[in-house]
Amino acid sequence: MTTQQWQLVKELFEAALERDDEDPAAFLAEACPDDREVRDEVQSLLAAHTRDSTFMSQPVGSLLGDTRPTLLTGQHLGNYEVIATLGKGGMGQVYLALDTRLGRKVALKLLPFSQTRDPNHVQRLEQEARTASALNHPNIVTIHEIGEADSIHFMATEYVEGETLRERMANAELSVREIVALAVQIASALRAAHRAGIVHRDIKPENIMLRSDAVVKVLDFGLAKLTGAAEVESGLIMGTTPYMSPEQARGETVDARTDVWRLGIVLYEMIKGTVPFTGETHRQTVTSILQDELPTLDSEVPDELQQLVAKALTKDRSERYDDASSMENELKSLQGELEVRARLGVANANQNEAVTRLSGWATSTQLRTDTAGHTRRGVKYYVQRHKVLTGIAAILLMGAVGWAYVNANRNRADSRASSENSVAAPPKKAGTTNREAYRLYLHGMYLANNRNLADAQKSIEALKQAVQLDPNYAQAWAGLAYAHRTVSLYSEVSTQETYKRSIDAINKALAIDESVSEAHSALCENKYLYEWDFDGAERECKRAIELNPNSALAHEIFSRYLMGRGRLDEAINEIERAIDLDPASRFNNRNYGRALFYARRYKEAEEQFKRVLAMDENFVYTYSWLTSTLALEGKEAEAYDWFKKLLSHRKVDKETVAVFEKAFQTSGWRGIWREWIKRLDALGGSTFDRALYNAQIGNVDEAFKYLEKVYQQREVWMTYLRVEPRLDPLRNDPRFKDLLRRVEGG
Amino acid sequence: MTRNITHLLKEWSDGDPQALDELTPLVYEELRRQATRYLRKERPNHSLQATALIHEAFLRLIDVKNVEWQNRAHFFAIAANLMRRILVDHARRRDAEKRGGPQVCLTLDERLAWAKEPDVDLLAIDEALDRLAAIDEQQARVVELRFFSGLTVEETAAALGISPKTVKRDWSVARAWLKREIGDSTRTTT
Repeated sequence: MTTQQWQLVKELFEAALERDDEDPAAFLAEACPDDREVRDEVQSLLAAHTRDSTFMSQPVGSLLGDTRPTLLTGQHLGNYEVIATLGKGGMGQVYLALDTRLGRKVALKLLPFSQTRDPNHVQRLEQEARTASALNHPNIVTIHEIGEADSIHFMATEYVEGETLRERMANAELSVREIVALAVQIASALRAAHRAGIVHRDIKPENIMLRSDAVVKVLDFGLAKLTGAAEVESGLIMGTTPYMSPEQARGETVDARTDVWRLGIVLYEMIKGTVPFTGETHRQTVTSILQDELPTLDSEVPDELQQLVAKALTKDRSERYDDASSMENELKSLQGELEVRARLGVANANQNEAVTRLSGWATSTQLRTDTAGHTRRGVKYYVQRHKVLTGIAAILLMGAVGWAYVNANRNRADSRASSENSVAAPPKKAGTTNREAYRLYLHGMYLANNRNLADAQKSIEALKQAVQLDPNYAQAWAGLAYAHRTVSLYSEVSTQETYKRSIDAINKALAIDESVSEAHSALCENKYLYEWDFDGAERECKRAIELNPNSALAHEIFSRYLMGRGRLDEAINEIERAIDLDPASRFNNRNYGRALFYARRYKEAEEQFKRVLAMDENFVYTYSWLTSTLALEGKEAEAYDWFKKLLSHRKVDKETVAVFEKAFQTSGWRGIWREWIKRLDALGGSTFDRALYNAQIGNVDEAFKYLEKVYQQREVWMTYLRVEPRLDPLRNDPRFKDLLRRVEGG
Repeated sequence: MTRNITHLLKEWSDGDPQALDELTPLVYEELRRQATRYLRKERPNHSLQATALIHEAFLRLIDVKNVEWQNRAHFFAIAANLMRRILVDHARRRDAEKRGGPQVCLTLDERLAWAKEPDVDLLAIDEALDRLAAIDEQQARVVELRFFSGLTVEETAAALGISPKTVKRDWSVARAWLKREIGDSTRTTT
């Protein structure tokens, strides 16, 4: 094409555009009859012109708007070396990196340049992140460092190995108990944040990490406000909307109740697999959040859980939980209930009984069953996770849920008629058909596992009533043995007396049914703790597991036996199994910490004890374990921090607190041991503790004096002589070897 | 420095082609430095606009009081061409990265990233633009100024010393032409 032709093309093109003919061919034929090449070119350009009007409509430069820094594998940023890309977080790219100074792995987040151009903004971001990080809560991801290198602002946080809740939900169905256990941990993290005045604002499954040991870590605390301000608060950005609270959807200010709502949505999604309020467009989703009624959950979901979700998801925030703390409390009490209900289920291996019992309860409680043993939907939450073996437990669990339903409704006329006609056929041996006895058993076992004197005593009462109502209730007799033993740990009742009561109860249980796993577990415990018949104990523990391989109790007791024997790897295996079967048990979780403590794996023990306290900050003896662990690690200041929490839980008077404070200031943790010995009674300690603490401060003779006393009383702690690290200062003393020989010699 | 660049600009405007050779790397460097600064903290709450970049580079490089209006226009023309190079280079690098090419360790300045991927193929546009330049040099410059540098019609007209009406027409034709060329090339390669 010549320059002249091209000039003509341009003119004709412009003219044709101005004319805006539907078919420019006629115009072109008239305007340029002689040059087909020019006509074709113009037509072709006109055709292109009408296509895709967005093409090059924006200067390319403006596309370089909000930019995010990126790093490549192997690249260094400050002290960090990138190992891999983890993905895109709420605030930018996230990398797995190695902290080359400390040799630890961290998650390295790079802040988008748009967030870091304004130094004031950066300062606020750092401050908020630090505040959140300072919460030092086991369910909140720790922030190691916020810094800048090569003009890139970054945040190095604890690297959580695991999966996001989003991934977990995609990979596996969650059982009701798992769901509640997860929610408790999330609520616990939020409680700590709310107490510090921090609202997360962006709770969603992507911000919740699950470690392989079932510990939850909530990410990006306090960052939403600063990094995603506009989108999170006014919901302008698509994708975040289904989790938005009504006040967020309306662009109003947020508060702790916003997090309550969002946790409610997450809970709902965990249960049902979908979020409750959504739409095809952003606008529809917002409308749904603001207007739609909460779609009901399956009737198989425990009533309390449904109510809890509904309360969290009340549109008017004044009717929701005030903050995460009250929600957490309700979740925890539900968790406890479920634990008790499941404990029974897990402890009972007799499938036929289980099914019989379930079918009875089910028909009486609208828990529909097709035939005995096949519940249609509710059980799936549990069965699919735990496959066939614990499917039985699941059936029992659902049975127990049904049971509670009966209890809740037994005064209602409509349920009375059906429930009384359909009482299950009595299981012949270990179990009971007496509902009240059953309820008392569950309650008693729950109380025993609260692991404190008052509850242990109440548990004996409950279990005594249970066997009164049904003297042939073998499991309750075994439970009674367990409760007696528990009381002895925390009271001055003589060991001999406890032992006798416990053996009586075991014998009753075995007389009714020799194959009750719990009775053999109790026997095992008696043999190693009181009789110091270690071989006999091992036989009984193994028998208990053989009778019911899915009994958390059987594994837990065997684990403690193994700890005392110094077989710590085996002990850890057993306690892990117990936790698998009963993840919400604080006691099992604490015993896991103990096993690690005895194995001198202090760092892990420390983390485990903290986890237990995150599950339940009122599980007070855990503080003693944790402070001892920290003291042995040399982390005295931290030990003292936790010790102060113990003091506040024990409601110790101000004068005593001041004494401890002075002791710590002048002589460090040794000072605490010293004062602690003097106040053991008030702080809940035993003669054995007296020996331990004396050993720790070098009062060797004093320590042996108390150990001898413990030996004479045959206190149960004697069986841990072999592994107890706090006795290490005594280990080379001939008196120690003598003591050990006397205990282990039988 | 400022005086030097101003001087070079004048010499080039006065018809000394060697001045351009000296001028180009200086302007290029300045533009890149500005771009990087934009991406960091020095410019709060701004997205990176090529046009702002060029204006700023001009203010920084040129002794404004001693430069004639015509020289200013020339500067914009150079800067626009350089902006095109910066952006296209960046797109090329990104492309290589995406195709799993050798992972080179980039310097910070090269860590520019798109806020969102441009929905046009910059490499194809660049290539087609070279072909367009062979037919109509002025249109190619219009595209550089309008598309790669974000200048307005009036600014473009001023920079090229042509009328706004011509800019509009050239821009319109060039867009259609490029659209057609890229559409065709896409069709033939798929």
